[in-house]
Amino acid sequence: MTLLFERYIERRVEGELTRDARQLIADLSIDAAGGLVIGNEPTDPRFRDPRSGLYWALSTAGHELKSRSLWDERLPASDLADADDWSTRVVKGPFDQQLLIVERLVQPRRNGAKVLVQLAVDHATVRDARRDFGLDLATYLLLLWLILAGAAWVQVELGLRPLARVRRELELLKSNPAARLRADHPAEIQPLTDAINELAEAREKDLAAARRRAADLAHGLKTPLAALSAGSRRAREAGAIDEAEGLDRAIATATAAVNAELARSRVATIRNAVQRVRSPALPVIEQVIGVVERTDFGAERVFEVEVPESLVVPAAPEDLAELLGALIENAARFSRRRVKITGEGAPTACRLAIEDDGPGLGPQRAEQVLSRRGRLDEADSSTGLGLSIARELVEATRGQITLGAATLGGLRVQIDWTLGH
Amino acid sequence: MRALVVEDDPSVAADVANSLRSAGFVVDVAADGEDAWYRGDTDEYDVVVLDLGLPRLDGLSVLKRWRASDRVMPVLILSAREDWTEKVEGIEAGADDYLGKPFEMAELIARARALVRRAAGRASAVIQMGRLTVDTRRMTVSVDARSIRLSPLEFRLIDYLAHQQDRAVSAGELAEHLYGATESSDTNAIEALVTRLRRKLGPGLIATRRGFGYLIDGNAT
Repeated sequence: MTLLFERYIERRVEGELTRDARQLIADLSIDAAGGLVIGNEPTDPRFRDPRSGLYWALSTAGHELKSRSLWDERLPASDLADADDWSTRVVKGPFDQQLLIVERLVQPRRNGAKVLVQLAVDHATVRDARRDFGLDLATYLLLLWLILAGAAWVQVELGLRPLARVRRELELLKSNPAARLRADHPAEIQPLTDAINELAEAREKDLAAARRRAADLAHGLKTPLAALSAGSRRAREAGAIDEAEGLDRAIATATAAVNAELARSRVATIRNAVQRVRSPALPVIEQVIGVVERTDFGAERVFEVEVPESLVVPAAPEDLAELLGALIENAARFSRRRVKITGEGAPTACRLAIEDDGPGLGPQRAEQVLSRRGRLDEADSSTGLGLSIARELVEATRGQITLGAATLGGLRVQIDWTLGH
Repeated sequence: MRALVVEDDPSVAADVANSLRSAGFVVDVAADGEDAWYRGDTDEYDVVVLDLGLPRLDGLSVLKRWRASDRVMPVLILSAREDWTEKVEGIEAGADDYLGKPFEMAELIARARALVRRAAGRASAVIQMGRLTVDTRRMTVSVDARSIRLSPLEFRLIDYLAHQQDRAVSAGELAEHLYGATESSDTNAIEALVTRLRRKLGPGLIATRRGFGYLIDGNAT
């Protein structure tokens, strides 16, 4: 671009020089002695200042006329032979200046002497103009680049903002298979979110199917396990005591694994539920007591229930039944006479507590029972599977379980939930 | 003692039947729901061991049909599913106990015996005390013809009070009756039990006579 500009400037300078030269030629005459005479000198004051960078010169074989600005120097000689047209060249001239010279041979009189007309300008003016232009251009281009880069950044940032939201929602989807991307995304990325949602749908179905299969498998194994147990008893009666004991150990291990799998499946289902359901606690408590008081140990216990009818807890009725079933059965098993269930609710929190009058757990033992993490099948038989399952269920419903000493003398299991999420 | 074993898995059925026979029961076996329903409806059994997953008619439906036609024999449910929701359904359908598979045979025998013992000695009598009706055969209690579900312990207390007519019974005597002679001083549990019964039956039906003890006031409102 600067080259183009330089050529343009040069053409303009040449144009100006040629115009001045034509004026010189117009005023040029040759006297009788062959001397060069000029009527009016060009008016540009730079022609009068020595070394000004703007010069003119007229010369024949014997005479010479030049601008004052040349002082005692002269313009470089020319080897021009052609009188027809103006020619231009850049050469080193006087005062160590690089000169742009426009020159032509003219013949004022027919068959008279030829006069060399030269006008020169310091080429540095062109170079300076080019440099200034280059600087201006660079500044302008830099500014333009900055503006364009900024605009591009803004465009990308604004354009990709919906994708960032998709990414955040995908994070949620990763931790909760039941979550979905929202439907209010821009139309451009709607096909993408629809496709992701379909994928999530398929994934959730697969997960649910897998969980169901695991649960069905676990249930399906129970009757064969009972049959195996029958086989073991027959073996024992036939005198094969060792074989029977081996079988019993295997059955016990398989049973523990099956029960753990069922509990895990339930816990996973609760954990992945999108909607946090709430259910009234009292009916479930009474139903569970109805079952426990039919068992041989439960039949002899007194169940005291001090739970307000209005109390709701953040769990589905069937999950609450599972949780309370485990805890109340456990309490009934270890109590002497009495099992007490209390509940209280506030707008932001609720609490259930199950106490018994049995031997209780020491603080150290309680710590041990609760610090076991996610290992249902290794649960200690002395406290039953109950407390481990209960802890998993409480945590799945985002509650907190604490063990302590009951006022009745035995174990107190307390569950706290925070409401309002 | 006659027992009916309802189980479709032949191996488990044979094992349970044999074990019950060894324990002194006379045992019939039914392998599907309809057969079970028919036998339970026409024969007298002291206890029924009922599997829930049965061909043709599921165990819960069999139990509901029996109870609907006033068959009151004790039923022990046997099930592969051990959800509390299902246990609740079973008990509410009229089962007397619930055992999950796989089970210890000794436990099944013990529970079957306990059910027979609980049902045995029930005088075939209905005691009417004002608004309160105590059916000692079916072990049920109703107030103003509204049936109330009671635990075995609660029933024993009401049954004992009902048999005393207008005599006030002290907490110590009730503890002795319910828990045995050595436990007569433990009256806290009795007070808790009476509180719970009052909540189930409505206030007033069990009156307190200060200094003497508890008695049933069938005409209280």
